[in-house]
Amino acid sequence: MLEIGSLVDGKYKILNKVGQGGMSVVYLAMNEKANKQWAIKEVRKDGVLDFEAVKQGLVAETDILKKLNHPNLPSIIDVIDQEDSFIIIMDYIQGNSLAKALNEYGALPQDKVIEWAKQLCDVLGYLHSRKPPIIYRDMKPANVMLKPDGNITLVDFGTAREFKERNLADTTCLGTIGYAAPEQFGGMGQTDGRTDIYCLGATLYHLVTGMNPCEPPYEIKPIREINPALSGGLEKIILKCTQRDPNDRYQSAEELMYALEHYDEIDDLHRKKQKKKLAGFITALAFSVIFAITGVWGYLSAEQKKKDNYDYILLHADKVEDYFEAIATDPTRTEAFLGTDDYKGLINFLIADGELTSEENSHFTKFKTGVESKNISGYSVTVNAMDIMKKENPPGCEQVCFEMGEAVLFYYNVNVEKDKYAAAAYWFQNAKESYPVAKLYCDINDCIQKINAYKKAEQFAKLSDEYKKLWEQLTILKSEATKFDEDIQVRVWNEIIKMINNNASEFCDVTPKEEVLSMINDIKQDCSKITNTFLQNTIEVLTKNIENTITKVNSVKK
Amino acid sequence: MNFIVTGNTDIGLTKSTNQDSLSMKVISTPQGRMVLAVLCDGMGGLAKGEVASASVIRAFDEWARTRLPMLCNAPLEEYVIRDEWNAIIQSQNRSIQAYGAQLGIKLGTTVTAMLITQTRYYILNVGDSRAYELYGGIRQLTKDQTVVAREVAMGLITEEQAHYDERRSILLQCVGASAEVYPDMFYGDTQVNAVYMLCCDGFRHEITPDEMYQYLQPDVLFDENGMSQNSQYLIEVNKQRQERDNITVALVRTF
Repeated sequence: MLEIGSLVDGKYKILNKVGQGGMSVVYLAMNEKANKQWAIKEVRKDGVLDFEAVKQGLVAETDILKKLNHPNLPSIIDVIDQEDSFIIIMDYIQGNSLAKALNEYGALPQDKVIEWAKQLCDVLGYLHSRKPPIIYRDMKPANVMLKPDGNITLVDFGTAREFKERNLADTTCLGTIGYAAPEQFGGMGQTDGRTDIYCLGATLYHLVTGMNPCEPPYEIKPIREINPALSGGLEKIILKCTQRDPNDRYQSAEELMYALEHYDEIDDLHRKKQKKKLAGFITALAFSVIFAITGVWGYLSAEQKKKDNYDYILLHADKVEDYFEAIATDPTRTEAFLGTDDYKGLINFLIADGELTSEENSHFTKFKTGVESKNISGYSVTVNAMDIMKKENPPGCEQVCFEMGEAVLFYYNVNVEKDKYAAAAYWFQNAKESYPVAKLYCDINDCIQKINAYKKAEQFAKLSDEYKKLWEQLTILKSEATKFDEDIQVRVWNEIIKMINNNASEFCDVTPKEEVLSMINDIKQDCSKITNTFLQNTIEVLTKNIENTITKVNSVKK
Repeated sequence: MNFIVTGNTDIGLTKSTNQDSLSMKVISTPQGRMVLAVLCDGMGGLAKGEVASASVIRAFDEWARTRLPMLCNAPLEEYVIRDEWNAIIQSQNRSIQAYGAQLGIKLGTTVTAMLITQTRYYILNVGDSRAYELYGGIRQLTKDQTVVAREVAMGLITEEQAHYDERRSILLQCVGASAEVYPDMFYGDTQVNAVYMLCCDGFRHEITPDEMYQYLQPDVLFDENGMSQNSQYLIEVNKQRQERDNITVALVRTF
């Protein structure tokens, strides 16, 4: 027995007796040099029958315990072997045990118990992960100290395991041995980490229900039978912890920790909530589908309406503005340009009179920038129809461009050849991909523009090269022309003849006169083969031109 | 109806103290003779179990001395006896607990208390001590409050397994070690020429009910001397069979 006020080991002054066990007394002591409080556990030799065995156990155990370092465990600082007692110096834990809390308040609040359970689980996990694993074996509220900061500490750990080995030959009472797991009585397999899981489960049961599982009815009932307000998730956890067969319990502290962290998820209430959420989700999903269908239907109707409008406008189109309106309504469609069986397109509308005036051509050039249109609100907006069509309907765009190019090339009534070609080439440029002839026209334009440039620059040396190129291209154009419709063929021939007529002497310079003449004669012959009466007027004009050109070529001097 | 009573106890082979306590009283009352037999099997660390068992015995003696004469002024009612004995147990439970807390030890005791009147018997039981009736056969009157007995009752193990179960000496409850104690009560009609026996668990582990009946049946017990001798004989048999516990047996012969 240590005297109050006495000094242990020269530095620990005994302040007060704070606890008493079967064979030990716990004192509060002060290290006066360090000004820090410690707990001193004195194991009296006279109180223990076989002290040597106990001491050896103590020494071995405290050696292990000295190495432990966990926030929920008191650390053991020193072990002193005195003449008539054995002294363990360890952290002084302020606060009371949970057993005392149970005595005072009965069942404790569930959320706090779960918080403590997590900490206990953490300690058990730490102990079980030591090498070799340390099994606590004596988890009960009396051994859990609740500190003033709300955290807990697992105590009564310094006592040797020998103390806890029970001599089962003696009659004992459940009340004195704690929440022993079935396997702790022997005969049912070794004790291991799962034994601590059982005791922790029993401890939690005691804490949340206030019912000691070691008292009648000596069983761990589902906790909601005792207090329906408790969590179903916690109920499942406690039942699983306290299964008779260790294999049916949580297999490790980590597993239990996971369950504790998610206890509300295995709760029935939580499931109900989730079901509600699911119902909400399904409702939202159903609405989304309905709205999507409505949206698609609305869009399709709008598109149909747009199409109807487009066709209506074109069907009654009698001025250029009508075509522009149709194009602004749906720039992706080509009908407004090319026409259908039911109505004329813009191009045909403009060349209906057999020629394209420069004013009419200006309608085409508007597409280079964009057409003015009025939107639903009546505001004027610029619709860049060609860009939109190019993006949405590339083949349609090429076709439109090609047709516009031809219209310009064949009907533009401007006298300056190079301007006509330049205007036409702008459109052919956009149709080159699908129409090889378009490329040919572009090349011809290229030559013409260069020829003009060289002429202006008086670089006559380069001229002949360009004329040679131009002649080659005309040759190709002529052979290509056979693939076209008759009316187009006639137009193409007309262009070729015009070109030769205008440049007769230059062509004769770069190519034998006979060749030029033979091409003209070929065209003349081909012309005569055309029987289409609608083209007779044109052919007559063409034949006249051919004769003029032949005369002109013949008159060219070498 | 008349009674012969004997009580025998032995410290056994291994224990340093005998923690069993026993009280046998033949009481003359206005309702004729009665017997109050109380047997307590104490347990606890540091050889303090006998304190608990003796304390309960004294409490029952006190009851027999002060309360029983009063109750005998009217016909005995089962519920009255039950309530009064229950009160004794609860107060004993508290005081033994307080004593243990003071010393920092855990101690407790079983109780089997039996009041035999001219017509009825009343038994209170906490723990694993037993009361038997030997009358044309041997019949156990009490139910053990032990872990194994409960497991047998729940069908988890068989009687045979229970006998060898490691947990056979673990009580569900006892006086002094649990926060609450819930005693069992048993009642019945007293038979003439019967033997009523109370014994602690040490007496019955190694010998069979047949052996008990052979040596303790009413036909072989005629006087106090014979009863005591036969009790002692069975105690010796127990010791020969290496029973380690304290051994106590109490007999009441009616005639």
